[in-house]
Amino acid sequence: MSTTNGTTAAAALPTYTKKDFESGVDPRWCPGCGDFSIINQVQKLLPSIGVARENIVFISGIGCSSRFPYYMNNYGMHTLHGRAPSFASGLKLSRPELQLWVVTGDGDALAIGGNHFIHTMRRNLDIKMLMFNNRIYGLTKGQVSPTSELGKKTKTTPYGSADYPFNPPALALGAGATFVARSVDLEGAHMGVVLKSAAEHRGSTFVEIYQNCPVFNDGAYTFLTEKAVKAEAQLRMEEGKPLLFGKDNRKGIRFNSQSAELEVVTLGEKGAVEKDVLVHNPRRDDPTIAFMLANLSNRPGFPTPIGIFRAVKLPTCDDLNWKVINSAKAKHGDVSLRKFLSSADTWTVE
Amino acid sequence: MNADPIGVLTGSHYLDGDHSCSEGAIAAGCRFSAGYPITPSTEVVERLASRFPRVGGRFQQFEDELAASIAVLGAVWGGAKAVTVTSGPGFSLMMEHIGLAAITECPVVYINVQRGGPSTGLPTQPAQGDMMQARFGSHGDYRLIALCPNSPQECFDLTLRAFNLAEEYRVPVVVMLDEVVGHMTEKVVIPPADQIEVTPRRYTSKKPGDFKLFEAAEGSLVPEMVKAGDGYRVHVTGLTHDERGYPAMNVVAQDKMVKRQFAKIVENADKIITFEEKNLLGAEAVVVSFGITSRIAEKGMQLAREKGAKVGSFRLITAWPFPEKQIIELSKKVKAFVVPELNMGQMSLEVERLAAGRCRTIPVLHAGGTVHNPEVIAEAILEAVR
Ligand SMILES: Cc1ncc(C[n+]2csc(CCOP(=O)(O)OP(=O)(O)O)c2C)c(N)n1
Ligand code: SF4
Ligand SMILES: [Mg+2]
Repeated sequence: MSTTNGTTAAAALPTYTKKDFESGVDPRWCPGCGDFSIINQVQKLLPSIGVARENIVFISGIGCSSRFPYYMNNYGMHTLHGRAPSFASGLKLSRPELQLWVVTGDGDALAIGGNHFIHTMRRNLDIKMLMFNNRIYGLTKGQVSPTSELGKKTKTTPYGSADYPFNPPALALGAGATFVARSVDLEGAHMGVVLKSAAEHRGSTFVEIYQNCPVFNDGAYTFLTEKAVKAEAQLRMEEGKPLLFGKDNRKGIRFNSQSAELEVVTLGEKGAVEKDVLVHNPRRDDPTIAFMLANLSNRPGFPTPIGIFRAVKLPTCDDLNWKVINSAKAKHGDVSLRKFLSSADTWTVE
Repeated sequence: MNADPIGVLTGSHYLDGDHSCSEGAIAAGCRFSAGYPITPSTEVVERLASRFPRVGGRFQQFEDELAASIAVLGAVWGGAKAVTVTSGPGFSLMMEHIGLAAITECPVVYINVQRGGPSTGLPTQPAQGDMMQARFGSHGDYRLIALCPNSPQECFDLTLRAFNLAEEYRVPVVVMLDEVVGHMTEKVVIPPADQIEVTPRRYTSKKPGDFKLFEAAEGSLVPEMVKAGDGYRVHVTGLTHDERGYPAMNVVAQDKMVKRQFAKIVENADKIITFEEKNLLGAEAVVVSFGITSRIAEKGMQLAREKGAKVGSFRLITAWPFPEKQIIELSKKVKAFVVPELNMGQMSLEVERLAAGRCRTIPVLHAGGTVHNPEVIAEAILEAVR
């Protein structure tokens, strides 16, 4: 078997272009679907990440979003509803040198696949998950999803949903993901930057991408993407920079040490100055502030954060495992091996 | 190809059936396993977890059997030989991925150590109630191979064979133990590595571009494979697909795909099927049995012979595909089949179907929890020859 411990010799890579990552199959997404802009950004990114095309694998579940691997010119796995993270875990554990991207939807990842999702995040396997969040079941034509808003009318909630939705980055943080980010289909440049960081991260990587489904949930993100409201509605988190937003960056997010809460301040009002504003640091080991930021999403009076909530380095599950395997293998040939093999419920018949 | 000596525990040992399965897997070249603890199967993965690191293998405990049974498919598509192990409740959860393994023609081994059911049933006691589930448990039409060992020695031999068959036919193979076979300790002889035949995965030598992942060569029904990282662009999907693996949702593609996948098993049935016959010459009744029940049936036959019955034995080693030809031939020669099983009638239905009224079929049924009383089997034999 060709399992190695994750390091393949750095052979000279061919120069790729975006075209090298297109399968040539015409996508079957509806016109105007946000999925187009996401695949465009991914195909634009891959030539530049320094990984051989054959070492990149795209794995998906079931849903509109999960058709993704079909359109990529890579090793592609279109698995089952909710199960892509588990399939990917098996592949990653046996072939750590491959770069794995899981493409999933809000229903796929968080409803039927919710259990696999949290466990894949906590293990810190080096797997990159892109979750296209259209807050609806697209492929099955418009039913409520675990990210649909409270009160949302869908085909299966004709009187409005009475379920509270998941907040995906908060969930990923709670589950222990070492990289958690959010971007938006219409913000191509922003998504490109986030995806590049995701590609560079080693460990469990979760990127939520707000994706418009013009057919079954049109306009889900206009509150964030419309020109007129954008500046007030988006909080662009950038490492090392104060969390400013609003017209001319006049507003900021401050940590109120009395109430232990985040609050919005307007610079120049009530004595607020820029130095009061929280400086974004996604590399804190403690995910508490990242979690607070994630919880600003959809909160009245607060902007929606986009960018990287958390990016911390921790040994991955496969690093730790190959360490065990390599040290056990090194001892092979020891006389003690025979003894080990025969221990534990084995008796040799003389 | 011979087994890699690094994993082969050559010698004579006392092993229980579960541990013997682990050794069979390692000898076969299995280097990946995923699982979720469940009695009475956990010993198989516990031994793998302990043995694997020294031979470069990897066991991962997953969050449930859904995850474990698809993680092994991920490992296979990455080039590993892989196994997952479970019992009834977990086997039910794994049905989804047995179907995926079947449609994607993924060589993988599932081990089910049967316990009493339905549902949580009897976690620590034996049954043989999952035989039809092994065959038909996932939705849609597919064929797989199922083997049923009746001793720790056969647990080794048949787990090894399960891996070889999986590679030979690119199908999921299920090894169906029962709690007693899994937990009984007996002598197991493991040959030297150079006497163990291992079927390697058949990778294509075709160039990317010429190669189709689901196209079998002339005269063969089984396509070659590639693994991730080898430079091939492949698409593997659980949707109905064409030879390239691309979704093709139409009647023609469905017909072609399903029928070839069936033919792999049906046309090779003679090569796949194994069984053990004893004392058939002049027999008036034949006991058809498998797994632990075949061991009890030996005693039943002995008791019946002492009372003058002419009885022979036909032991199923492959449960699926079923030895149809052999049962049909025997049905022309004997008065009756006696079919003891630890369930309320599963394999006996198959025997009855094939006997087609030419002779009687007498099931000896037991709801599980322990093994048969051999006298009950003896009585059924005596009734059969009456
Ligand atoms: C076990 C199972 N149950 C149900 C389905 C039907 N199904 C297919 S996709 C889907 C939901 C897709 O929603 P989402 O994951 O949000 O993806 P989107 O289509 O919105 O991209 C469902 C319920 C299925 N394929 N498998
Ligand atoms: S249904 Fe919605 S999510 Fe699916 S392809 Fe159409 S627009 Fe995109
Ligand atoms: Mg969706």
